[in-house]
Amino acid sequence: MLSDLRVLEISAPETMQAGSVLAALGADVIALEPIAGAPGRRLEPFLDEIPGLERSLTWHALNRNKRGITLDIHSVDGRALLTELLAKFDVAFDAATNRVAPLDDLALPDKLVRIRIAPFAHAGPKSSYASSDLTTMAASGAPGVTGDPDRPPLFFPVPQAMMEAGSDAAIAALAGVAARDRDGLGQSGRISARISAMMSAMSQHLGPPSGNPETKRSSGTITFAGVQIPSIYECADGFVLISVAFGPVFGQMTQRLAKWAADENFLARSVAEISWPSFITDLQQKTVTPADLAVLIEGLKALTRSKTKAEFGASARKLGLLASPVFSMKDVAESAQYRERGLFTRVTVDGREIDVPSRFAQFSNFAIETRCPAPRLSEHTVEVLERDLGLSRVEIQALFAHGVI
Amino acid sequence: MASPLEGIRVLDLSWVMVGPVSGRYLADLGADVIKVESSRRIDPVRTLGPFKDGKMGPERSVSYHNLNAGKRCIALDMRKPQGRLLVLRLAEWADVAIESFTPGVLDELQLGYPQLSARNPRLIMASTAILGQTGPDAKGTSGVGTMGAAMSGATYQFGWPDRPPCGPFGPWTDGVAPRFIVASILAALHRRTRTGAGCYIDVAQAEAGVQFMMPSYYEFAANGKIPERRGVAGSRLRAPEGVYRCAGDDRWIAINASDSTHWEALRNIIGGTLDDSRFDTLIGRIRNRDALDDAISAWTRDQESDAAEATLQSVGIPVYIVSRGLDLNRDSDLNQVGHFKKFTDAVLGDAEIEGPRSAFDRTPLPETRRGPRIGEHTNQILENVLHLTKDEIAQLAEAGVLA
Repeated sequence: MLSDLRVLEISAPETMQAGSVLAALGADVIALEPIAGAPGRRLEPFLDEIPGLERSLTWHALNRNKRGITLDIHSVDGRALLTELLAKFDVAFDAATNRVAPLDDLALPDKLVRIRIAPFAHAGPKSSYASSDLTTMAASGAPGVTGDPDRPPLFFPVPQAMMEAGSDAAIAALAGVAARDRDGLGQSGRISARISAMMSAMSQHLGPPSGNPETKRSSGTITFAGVQIPSIYECADGFVLISVAFGPVFGQMTQRLAKWAADENFLARSVAEISWPSFITDLQQKTVTPADLAVLIEGLKALTRSKTKAEFGASARKLGLLASPVFSMKDVAESAQYRERGLFTRVTVDGREIDVPSRFAQFSNFAIETRCPAPRLSEHTVEVLERDLGLSRVEIQALFAHGVI
Repeated sequence: MASPLEGIRVLDLSWVMVGPVSGRYLADLGADVIKVESSRRIDPVRTLGPFKDGKMGPERSVSYHNLNAGKRCIALDMRKPQGRLLVLRLAEWADVAIESFTPGVLDELQLGYPQLSARNPRLIMASTAILGQTGPDAKGTSGVGTMGAAMSGATYQFGWPDRPPCGPFGPWTDGVAPRFIVASILAALHRRTRTGAGCYIDVAQAEAGVQFMMPSYYEFAANGKIPERRGVAGSRLRAPEGVYRCAGDDRWIAINASDSTHWEALRNIIGGTLDDSRFDTLIGRIRNRDALDDAISAWTRDQESDAAEATLQSVGIPVYIVSRGLDLNRDSDLNQVGHFKKFTDAVLGDAEIEGPRSAFDRTPLPETRRGPRIGEHTNQILENVLHLTKDEIAQLAEAGVLA
C-alpha cells in the first residue's frame, strides 16, 4: 500500500506507534536510535522478566517491520549524516522533550513530510512542561473519571499517550503525503500527545460548557433513578460486560436481554415484559418504578452467574445484545473469531516464535504481514549508510571508531 | 492554500461513534464529507448526551456535533428503492465511503462493496463493526466500544486485583478504531494515486483495541503470563511514580519523579520525611515504596492540585493534575491554542466542541463547523452534487424518500 514511501523515525516512545502503523501498511520504515539504544528498548515488560536492549516486549511490539540504525545526531558528523539521510526519505517522525525536537533546527528537504509530536500544544503555555506517559494521560481527562471513588484514579496498564499520539501522527503523516501527492511539496505537521489522548476521555470536555454537571468517578456503574446499574457482572468463569440501555435503539437490546433472563427463570416474566425502550418516559409517567429496574439488575446477576464466558458470549451474539465476555489476553489468543479471521501473524522475539495480533485491518487487495521482527540495535546501520549515502566500509568503520554510530 | 485532503469526497453512511469519528478526521483534514441520515432512523448518538442545558432532543446532543463537525447531511431513506439509488449515485461521486452497520445489513440492501464498487471501481470503502465482517462470530454481531474494550483484553486488566474489572472510561474502542480506519483509508488513497485501484477495508473495533494493548499481548504470548489488574498507577520499575491525593473533592496529581534529577528536585521542594536516607537510591525507593508514597501524599494532601502542578513543574518534574471535564475546559494548554471551538446554532444556542487533532505549517485546516442538522443539506446535495432538477427533488420528497 505504502511500498513507495520511506519513513525515518527518530525513535521515541511516541513515534513508535506512528512508524509501526506505516510499516504495517507497507512503508520502508527506519528507526534511528542513539548509540546507547532508543528509549523504547528500556520499556517493560521484558522477555522472561530479564532486562536487556533486545528484550523489551514493548519495543518488539511496536517496531515490527522496521529496520534500525544508530547515529549520534548530537555530534557534528551525525548531524551531517542525518541531513543527508533526510533527503532520501518521504516522511520523518520526531518527538519533543522540553520544547526541543531532534529535527527542529535542521533545514528540512522541501518534499519531506515531517510530523513533530510534543506532549502539549506547540505554541501553548505548557509547551515546555516536563512530561511522561503517566502525566500526559492524567491531562487527558480519562483517569479523572475512571475507577472506584474510594480508591485512586485508574490508568491503563500499558502506556497509552504514546499509542494515541503515535496513531494520530501516522494519520497526520498520511494527510501530509496526500497534500504532497497533489503538489509535490512536503511540510511540517504537529501533534499534541495530550490532545490525542483526550480521545480516551470521550465527551468530558463537552459537559460543563453546555450546562451539564461534571462527570465524577463511579466504578463503571451508572446510577439511574437511585438504582446502581453495573457494567461488569460475575459469570461462572470470570466476568462479562452488559450495557443496560434505554431508548428506541439500544432499549431493544435490553428488552431481549430481559426476555432471555426470564426464559432461563432468573427474572419474573412481568418485569421482562416491561417496555424497556420507553422505560425513562414510563418512569416519568409512573407506570413503572425504580424497583422494576432493581429487579432486572438482580435477575441479570443471577443469569450471568449461571453462564461461562463462552456460553454468555454465544447467546449475547445470537440475541444481539449490548453484552460480551471480558477477555484476558489468553482469551484473545484463543478466540476462534480472531484466529479464523486472520488477525495473527507470526513473529520472532529474540529467537522465540510467537503469533501476534498484527492485522489491524483486512483489505480486499492488500494484507498486513510481518516482514521482519523489530530490529536489533544498529542491525541495519551499515546497510543504510552504504546504500543510501554511498559511504565506504572504511568511512563506516571510522564513524564507529569515533562513536558516531 | 488548500487543506491536506482538499478535493477528497467522503460518503459517510455510519452512525454512533466509530464511523462518524473516522469521517470527522477526514473532514478536519479538508475532505468534503456527506453524512447520510434519516429522520425515520436518526443517528443514535443524537439520543446520547451531554445535551445542551441537559434537555434532550435530536438536535441538542453536543456529542453529536463533536463527532460530526464539518460534515454536510442528506436525509434519505435508503430502504426505499429510490433512496438506494441516491446512495449509489453518491458512491459514484465519492472517493471514500465509510459504514458501520451490523455486518450483513448493507448486503441485504444491495449497497455493499460489490454494488458500490461496480458503480465506482476507484472507491475506497471502509466497513467497521465490533468483530469485523469475517470470522465465525462476525455476521450479525453489533456492538459498542465498551464491548470492544472487553474483547480486546483492556477491560480485564483495568481495575484492582481484589475487585472485578472496572474497564476503561466509556466506549473506549470507539476512539481507538478510527485511528486505524483513517490511516488505512489514507494509505489506500495514496496507493490509488499510483494504481487507480479502489479498495475494501474491514476494521474490527475489538481488534483495534488489541493494538493499543500490544505490549500486554506480547507479555502473554512471549512470557506465558496472563497480565492481571494492578490498580495502582505507574510502573513497578519506577519510584516515585503514581497518583497522589490533593486537597479538595477527589483531586489527585500524577507525579513521575523516579529519575534522579526529578527525585532530587522533588526532595528539595517537599523535604521533611523525604529526606529519609532510605529514599536516597532508586533501589531504596522501590523497597520502601509504601513509605515513600505516604510521605509524598502527606505533602500533596494539603496542596491545591493546580498549585502543586505549578510548583513541581517549575522545577522540571513531570507532574499533571488528574484532570476532569472542568479542568480541561479551563486548561491554558488547550485554551490558548484555541482547541475548543465555540459555535452558535439556532436550535442549540451556544456550545463548544473540539478542534482538529493535528496542525500543519503549509496546508491550513478548515474552520471547525458544527455538525449538520438532519437533512440540513439535502437540497444542496441533490442539486449541486447529484445534479437533480427541482422537479425530480420534489418528486423524491413526495415519495417520502427524503426523510
